Amino acid sequence: MAETYPINIWINEERYAKLQKAGLAELTQDAFAGLKKLPVPNTMNQVDRVVKLFPKAKFDSATTKTIELLPKDVKDDIFDMVVSMGKIDIMEEFLKKHGA
Amino acid sequence: MEFIGHGGKKLVERVVTDKKEALNKIKGLKAVPVRRQLATEAISLAYGFFSPLEGFMKKNDVDSTCKNMALVDGTVWSIPIVFDISDQEIVDYGIKVGTSVLLTYEGNPLAIFEIEDIYAYDRDTWSQAVYGTTDSKHPGVKRTLDYKDKFLGGKITLINPPKFNPPFDQYWLTPKQHREKFGQKGWKRVVAHQTRNVPHSGHEWLMKHAWMATHAEMSMEETEEGHAITGVLVNAIIGEKRAGDYIDQAIILTQDALRKYGYFRDDVHMTSFTLWDMRYAGPKEAVHHAIIRTNLGLTHHMFGRDHAGVGTYYGSYDAHRIFNKIPKEKLNITPIFVVEWLYCPHCGEVTCIGLCNHKKEWQGFSGTVIRSIIMDGVKPPRLIFRPEIFDIVQECAEKYGFGSPFVTQEYLDKGTQAFRIDPL
Ligand SMILES: [Zn+2]
Repeated sequence: MAETYPINIWINEERYAKLQKAGLAELTQDAFAGLKKLPVPNTMNQVDRVVKLFPKAKFDSATTKTIELLPKDVKDDIFDMVVSMGKIDIMEEFLKKHGA
Repeated sequence: MEFIGHGGKKLVERVVTDKKEALNKIKGLKAVPVRRQLATEAISLAYGFFSPLEGFMKKNDVDSTCKNMALVDGTVWSIPIVFDISDQEIVDYGIKVGTSVLLTYEGNPLAIFEIEDIYAYDRDTWSQAVYGTTDSKHPGVKRTLDYKDKFLGGKITLINPPKFNPPFDQYWLTPKQHREKFGQKGWKRVVAHQTRNVPHSGHEWLMKHAWMATHAEMSMEETEEGHAITGVLVNAIIGEKRAGDYIDQAIILTQDALRKYGYFRDDVHMTSFTLWDMRYAGPKEAVHHAIIRTNLGLTHHMFGRDHAGVGTYYGSYDAHRIFNKIPKEKLNITPIFVVEWLYCPHCGEVTCIGLCNHKKEWQGFSGTVIRSIIMDGVKPPRLIFRPEIFDIVQECAEKYGFGSPFVTQEYLDKGTQAFRIDPL
């Protein structure tokens, strides 16, 4: 599988319960003191489109290879789409929804 | 009541509170407008935060501070407190030694400045002595290089006390008022927690650590009975902000919330602030903080890793080591050195690097992670971040920060200042 570049969504207990219901809980990773993160994957093409769509966001190409500084409501929306669609590969649908 | 401040000298307070007297005193004085930094330092000088200084420093004291870390009279002093002015302004305002001027802030009278000295000082000597470097990328060095051509030294008398805007008005105390408050609380020992942060549990534990170390051999009976004799004072530094810092309102309200929501008892914990622009002078700034807190009447001062440092200019424990070089009788406050607290999944709790032996499993409080959690508004486990603190940060973002708990350009341009000077 080609390398992917995640958007990390913070998962607290409340969000974890929602992911469990959607059968996606095991995709989370431990982050800090029980707080988890959900890495939502992007292709390089999707990274470019996300950064173009949200100019405040930055792709950390040097160290973490993640997209950082996305606005809160955008990350909330990504999480909600993961839960409602029952899968983690949602960025194509997300970008289409935003006309990108 | 007379209080003794730093250096064993009488606590300075040079403030005229009678309006008529103030108006009389400023009659005929030339008005010299000052920027925010000089206004705050004039206020701090007048209230005795910088006791025994009675005004902006003269050349011999600046020189002695740089060369000996002491004033001319031998009092320990680490950072020059100066009033800079351009050659042109000296001409324009007709400033001469032996005259007085009226300092104004935002168009209103603030303080009388008795000019006793006009001088220049070599910036590289100063930078090397105070900051240990002449690198202009160091924010303190940059500030030193940016000062105007000359400096004025002389006494300051505040004639129009500042008004503090909410929520700062709830937390402003002069050095005298700090001491009176400690007296009312019956605190025999008080330890300072210096901060520019919103507290996570790691910070909370630093304070607990400091409280225990400070209380030490004293009796626990009063504490058990509900009136502790040892207190923690969170003394926030409110001053120049940089983009990305926490906004001041969030810092002060969340620190106090640790008491308000019971993480510390009412009789143990208290929050106030000092107006000061951080110089990031590492060890020299640690000494300066110790001097200020001595003047506030504290008996102990907590110092963690990298106290008041920046970049890689100082070693993590340089700010601890400097206190070993100062004779005990020269500094009337006891430093309390603390090490880092972190989360250990094996212990299942927040613990101290000096105690837990599960080094491989440790999860440190990363500033980047905490910041990201706060930005995303996802409430973390209460073990690492208190839910009430989290809610207050989000409220402050809406109420004071234009949607962000971190300083943005909009906050710098339009945010409410801590204080204002009203017409006299
Ligand atoms: Zn452990």
